[in-house]
Amino acid sequence: MFDIRSRFGRFGIQALATVIAVPYLLPLVAMVSGSLAGQGLGNYKKVFDTGVVPLYFLNSAIVSAVSIALVYVCTMLAAFGFAKLRIAGKEVYFWLILVALTMPEAVLLTPLFVTASTFDMYNQLIAVILPLTALQVPFTILLARGFFEALPSELLEAGRVDGANIVQVFWHIVLPLTRPIAGAIVVLTLINAWNAYLLPLLMLLDPQKQVVTLLPTFFISQYTNDQTGVLASAVITALPIIVAYLLLQRSFERGLAAGALK
Amino acid sequence: MELTMTLAPDTEAIVTGRSRSPRTFRRTRNQGSGGILWILPALVLVLGMIYFSIGYTGFVSLRSWNGFILSPSEFEGGKNFARMFGDPVFWNALGHTLIFFVVTFTVQTVIGFTFAAIMHSRLKLKAVYKVIIFVPTVLAPATMAPVFRSIFDAHGQMNDVLHAIGLGSLASPWLANEATAMPVIMLITVWQWTGLTFILFFAAMSQIDSEVLEAARLDGAGSIRTLVSIVWPMCSGTTIALATLGIIGALKTFDVPYLVTKGGPNHATEFLGTYIYQEMVQEKHFGYAAALSVALLVLAIGGGVLTRLRSRRERGV
Repeated sequence: MFDIRSRFGRFGIQALATVIAVPYLLPLVAMVSGSLAGQGLGNYKKVFDTGVVPLYFLNSAIVSAVSIALVYVCTMLAAFGFAKLRIAGKEVYFWLILVALTMPEAVLLTPLFVTASTFDMYNQLIAVILPLTALQVPFTILLARGFFEALPSELLEAGRVDGANIVQVFWHIVLPLTRPIAGAIVVLTLINAWNAYLLPLLMLLDPQKQVVTLLPTFFISQYTNDQTGVLASAVITALPIIVAYLLLQRSFERGLAAGALK
Repeated sequence: MELTMTLAPDTEAIVTGRSRSPRTFRRTRNQGSGGILWILPALVLVLGMIYFSIGYTGFVSLRSWNGFILSPSEFEGGKNFARMFGDPVFWNALGHTLIFFVVTFTVQTVIGFTFAAIMHSRLKLKAVYKVIIFVPTVLAPATMAPVFRSIFDAHGQMNDVLHAIGLGSLASPWLANEATAMPVIMLITVWQWTGLTFILFFAAMSQIDSEVLEAARLDGAGSIRTLVSIVWPMCSGTTIALATLGIIGALKTFDVPYLVTKGGPNHATEFLGTYIYQEMVQEKHFGYAAALSVALLVLAIGGGVLTRLRSRRERGV
């Protein structure tokens, strides 16, 4: 964008980029250095000594994996239906789902609270997974429908001419073509599920049944005002998702750019 | 949302309410009437969870109830709503949401747009800059909240730095001060979401034909002029989409104020989400919390529809 020819200009733009970027790094630096203050790695040992770290990671992994699977299946089926099939009242159903796109989690609080106490669903991961999935699906369907519509219908018809039924067409022709969008859906759901806080806070009351986002809070409840330990538990929580992002960088950015405007 | 503000890649579809390729498909033969089965799982999930919740919230909002299954609730009509309209905390929360949206959206747009333009220029270490500005968007607010609490604590790093550079007089217990608590909440949000703004503007700029920019340059327009008069207007679709996301995100705000300031001091950082949570979980005013939820829902849907209509008008669709 900036067409810079002079050496001075090039230095200037580099400096400007650095000035903008560095403040974004500072909180992370503060987090890591704070977590090592005082007893150094001993702070991390203290967090692991609570004994819940592997459990919280396992629970978060289960919540994420099941949410991803549910979101993926619901989204792929529905996006195909909305984009390529004749369904009576299709647009009405689509709008019903679109309206749910703007749903704030807080609106679900009262009903979830009551449902969970009625059916004794507290402390069960499914009580977090189902609402998370329901909140995610409208968005991923919107994303995937546009992608499915861009697939040429001729391809599908060719499959039909060759005698494949609609399920076979979906499975053998459509699904293999949807990998780019599937990658975006998986990554988005992973981030939202792994980072979810309000729903686990409300549903998972037993400290033995919680997830990683509740680790700092749990640590505070065990050792009041131990700042270094709290920061160490924040680092432990942040690391996996940072690593996942670094590994899946392209798929994440491609997913976001897929819907960007012309 | 907040990513909880769910990210909205397919921005155009959100903005225009239609998908990017309006090409109608040719119907395949013998589809039968089984098409509904394809959308059924998603529909059951959304209707079962979300529409059930809306209905239930609406029901509870007309009652007085302490949330215990065994204790009876009492129908009291619009009393909860009447209380809400007379509740200064509610109006404060709305005001905070509005200011929060205007400030975070403006700052993010300025930084995100500028940074996207820089990243489209010749530059070293591009990959590093991109990672730095994008990493915050993947981190949980719940993870970062203790970090920001520690930074802005009365004895935190922020004040240490101010003392070190001789500005000790500016040091303050940032989160305990009514005047500075909200700016800190906004700062955290900007820190977290600029990466998304950046990546969307970056993608939008990639779509701009380089010949257009060349032409502008031949006509004698400088870099800044090109950016303001050509690139910025060509990104307007992205800007509008980001505004939609921002409004909805502002209404959804919960994690950061709840974890960093608990909505305080003295409701100075109260948002609808934190207020609903407090009324329900702490105060056990389920009817009132439900009424607040209904207001939040109406605003969220209204905000989404409003920006959509506006963008349609601008495009002349």
